[in-house]
Amino acid sequence: MESKSSTTGNRDNPNRNLHGSKTMMASHFLRALFRIQQTSTSSSSAGRSRRIRRAAYASMAYSAGTRRAWSRALLRKLRSRARLRFPRRLSRAATPQRRDMDQAQVLRKLVPGGPSMDDCKLLEETADYIRFLTTQVRLMQTVMDSVSS
Amino acid sequence: MQHGSREVRGGMAASASAQMALHDDHGSQQIQNPGLHDDFFDQMLSGLPSAWTDLGNPKSPWDASAAQKLFRIDLAGKQPDESQPEAAAEGLRYASYEEATMLASRLSQSQGSGGSSPTGEAMMLQLNNHHILPAVGRSQTAVGGGVGESGLLPLPLTLGSGGAADPRIIVETPRDEMDRPYKSPDHNGGEELYNGLGGSIRAAQAATGQHFHHPQSYGGAAASAGVGQGPAASASSGGGTPPQKQKVRARRGQATDPHSIAERLRRERIAERMKALQELVPNANKTDKASMLDEIIDYVKFLQLQVKVLSMSRLGGAAAVAPLVADISTEGPGGRAGANGAAAGNNDSLTVTEHRVAKMMEEDMGSAMQYLQGKGLCLMPISLASAISSAACRPSAGGLVPAPPPATTSAAAAAESPSSPSASALTVQSAAADTTAPKR
Repeated sequence: MESKSSTTGNRDNPNRNLHGSKTMMASHFLRALFRIQQTSTSSSSAGRSRRIRRAAYASMAYSAGTRRAWSRALLRKLRSRARLRFPRRLSRAATPQRRDMDQAQVLRKLVPGGPSMDDCKLLEETADYIRFLTTQVRLMQTVMDSVSS
Repeated sequence: MQHGSREVRGGMAASASAQMALHDDHGSQQIQNPGLHDDFFDQMLSGLPSAWTDLGNPKSPWDASAAQKLFRIDLAGKQPDESQPEAAAEGLRYASYEEATMLASRLSQSQGSGGSSPTGEAMMLQLNNHHILPAVGRSQTAVGGGVGESGLLPLPLTLGSGGAADPRIIVETPRDEMDRPYKSPDHNGGEELYNGLGGSIRAAQAATGQHFHHPQSYGGAAASAGVGQGPAASASSGGGTPPQKQKVRARRGQATDPHSIAERLRRERIAERMKALQELVPNANKTDKASMLDEIIDYVKFLQLQVKVLSMSRLGGAAAVAPLVADISTEGPGGRAGANGAAAGNNDSLTVTEHRVAKMMEEDMGSAMQYLQGKGLCLMPISLASAISSAACRPSAGGLVPAPPPATTSAAAAAESPSSPSASALTVQSAAADTTAPKR
């Protein structure tokens, strides 16, 4: 797999060497999509979208491997068949004081495996998580675009 | 048609967002000038019925081009409206999340066969234009949130407290910055897809950096908080006015006690990571840690929301995969002369695999896919394969021989003939796997 392990090697490459895992993410996700489509042609659309969402996170976690804390936590969550729940704060009416104190907390809730990390590791995992998230989102956009055109 | 589609889309989007602006009553970003909105309504509602019927019709050319424009990925090589989709993608960020979820639920309700992608992009447009609409009140460019490149981006500026200097910057930089990722003629669809976090995010960063000025000022509280974390070490060794001159003061840059050393180390590490994060997150020109963290949090939420929304809008699209796959399997191994000629460049084992897979596909698609899976291959539509492989192999260093180009051209050539898409897809994907295999 690509050199995602060393952060020093990644500094000069804006792509962060993700493209080895990109193809893996793509193939995993497409296979999952295909399976979902085969097995649930008549089920509810909500259940289907949940499954697709799960498949998205699963392909993210699989292509990230076990080297990352967030991917390990995500894989754990997926395997335990728990419902994928993500906290979404709907109101942005946070007072500045509260915002300052809770920032790390909020971030810990967002990133899988967050609560068990110290601040330093949290930032590192967040960066990796964001990388994979953006890749996954773009992948999904491409797929949707290519099947609808 | 381009022009007409823009108008229609603009009209529909603006009126939809105008309706939303009416019903929704929160945030300071809301209606600032109700009078002007009325003028809008009259203007836009006249164009409304045609727009809505177009929306319902999946075959209208407006849909395809609009959807392509929105998601900025045009595999046919046309140049869509670059900045708008980019801003639209980023525009989701600062729309309130309630609105996003409301629209998401609306989207799921209005799911029809083939209606998924138009509603998906309509939702995106609504969100984007909803955000922009209050600002439109100031400027009379009533093109539904400014479909043109210059029209879109300056508008949100009037929202925030950002200065008058910003519109100038906005109009100029996106053109330059966004033209760069979109330079290449043909495979730019896939390329800009996987242009990674360098090109397009930075472009988006520059574009959104100015115009998503929050009206709320982070500056005061955040700055004080950031500065207030004044390191103990440098405080003691700083050039400030020391109250006691008898104490031994550490020289600047050195710490005397292990506490501060550890503290400094930790802070350096955190700063390092924050810098890495700054490159990933758009709109990361904030200098203080707290607002940077806010940006990061917002961005992560936004990405997760996008995954959710995309998975909802995928429903209609996924159904379209089935006829594609079924089509491949029914065709079988007939007429594969073209693919064989191209595949001759690869191993013989590859053609053998292709034969086997084609045969298996005739009987059972699932087992064929499993077989491919065991080999580390994947079957996918040609357009998708070319997008992914060209994107995956493009940023590779010069050392790698770009194997895909001959494969993709053959794939592209064979795209029209449904007889051998399977072979071409295999070729492309295994070529991509080959190029990435040594890196693993």
